[in-house]
Amino acid sequence: MSDFRDGLAEILEVEASELEDGFELGELWDSLAVVSTLALIDEVHDVSVSAEDLAECKTVGDIGKLVDAAVA
Amino acid sequence: MPAHIVAIATHVPETILSNAELADLYPEWPADKILDKTGIAERHIAGPDETALDLGVAAAEKLFERDGIDRGDVDFLIFCTQAPDYVLPTSACIMQDRLQLGTGVGALDINLGCSGFVYGLSLAAGLIAGGMASTILLVTADTYSKYINARDKSVRTLFGDGAAATLIKRNGPGDTGSIGPFEFGTDGSGAHQLIVEGGGFRTPRSVETSEEVVDKSGNVRSRDNLYMNGGAVLNFTLKRVPEVVARLTDKAGLSIEAYDNVILHQANKFMLDSLQKKLGLADDRVPRRYADIGNTVSSTIPFVLEEMAEQSRFPPGRHMLVGFGVGLSWAAGSISF
Repeated sequence: MSDFRDGLAEILEVEASELEDGFELGELWDSLAVVSTLALIDEVHDVSVSAEDLAECKTVGDIGKLVDAAVA
Repeated sequence: MPAHIVAIATHVPETILSNAELADLYPEWPADKILDKTGIAERHIAGPDETALDLGVAAAEKLFERDGIDRGDVDFLIFCTQAPDYVLPTSACIMQDRLQLGTGVGALDINLGCSGFVYGLSLAAGLIAGGMASTILLVTADTYSKYINARDKSVRTLFGDGAAATLIKRNGPGDTGSIGPFEFGTDGSGAHQLIVEGGGFRTPRSVETSEEVVDKSGNVRSRDNLYMNGGAVLNFTLKRVPEVVARLTDKAGLSIEAYDNVILHQANKFMLDSLQKKLGLADDRVPRRYADIGNTVSSTIPFVLEEMAEQSRFPPGRHMLVGFGVGLSWAAGSISF
């Protein structure tokens, strides 16, 4: 998960250490962040998740759950 | 395949839209962020009275003049655009007259976007292989700027207007170039992911379709404007492009290493970075051209090819071309010089 978290931190322009599961995506979660995260998930996990489902995520934990479900 | 690409000329309109101008409209996206994410510094935008047909004519005139091509040799014209001058007649018919081509030519439009050049090339090769034409002018031109809402940064940062004219000829004695094989793909279930909904007959333009709405990312658009679901298009691309590349290498009986370059539709830096990683290709085999023109839809691949020519001649080499986008539609083809 660390490659993924580092990548997500870069996309959201925050420190990776801040990205606890409860981290609220809020305003940072715009269409560009969603698209960048789709590419990151594909690169790190070689799976794709639905763009709509990803856009609906509210926290970092929500993204984690979506990725876990896709990898499983 | 008994045909080859002889020459390519491109044209962009004069007006430039810079990142600094866009950043003034979108305070949350400074100019350096736009450049960093898209790789695009500026795009060219057609004037209010300038259409895709005008851009295409300019590219073709440049081809005739710069490359010393006799327009009288052209016996078929294929025009690929999604921004025709009229509902009817066919823009290619008007282009025949504007270019003063003979009245013995065949002319037709094809309505495809980012996959259009590869499809157009396959049609040209097919017409030549079938003995129906011998010198084909393939013109690609689009003006997506006319569909884009000024306050929609999701697409306004990416697309630029532009045109390319490509001359394809039947091989004569001593010609060694080739066009093909090709592999195609279509998934119309994704039609709504990249669409201008208003203005056709399913959804004629009306007061309702012109109503602007603001999406979650703060982008403004109406149903008469271009809409792109960037996430869905990325997912489609990451799935379909590697697949069609594998189908083409199988069909051609070649490994991907046998291609000097893999020329992808120049969507933007982010998309090309993702695809290049996925395909496992080194930087020097994935040429790029978007920094100064943006995504010119069906003309992006010929813009790359034109830069490969030295004094209007293409150095020997084998290249894979891959187009993908609106439709959803995709295709890959081999060419050699």
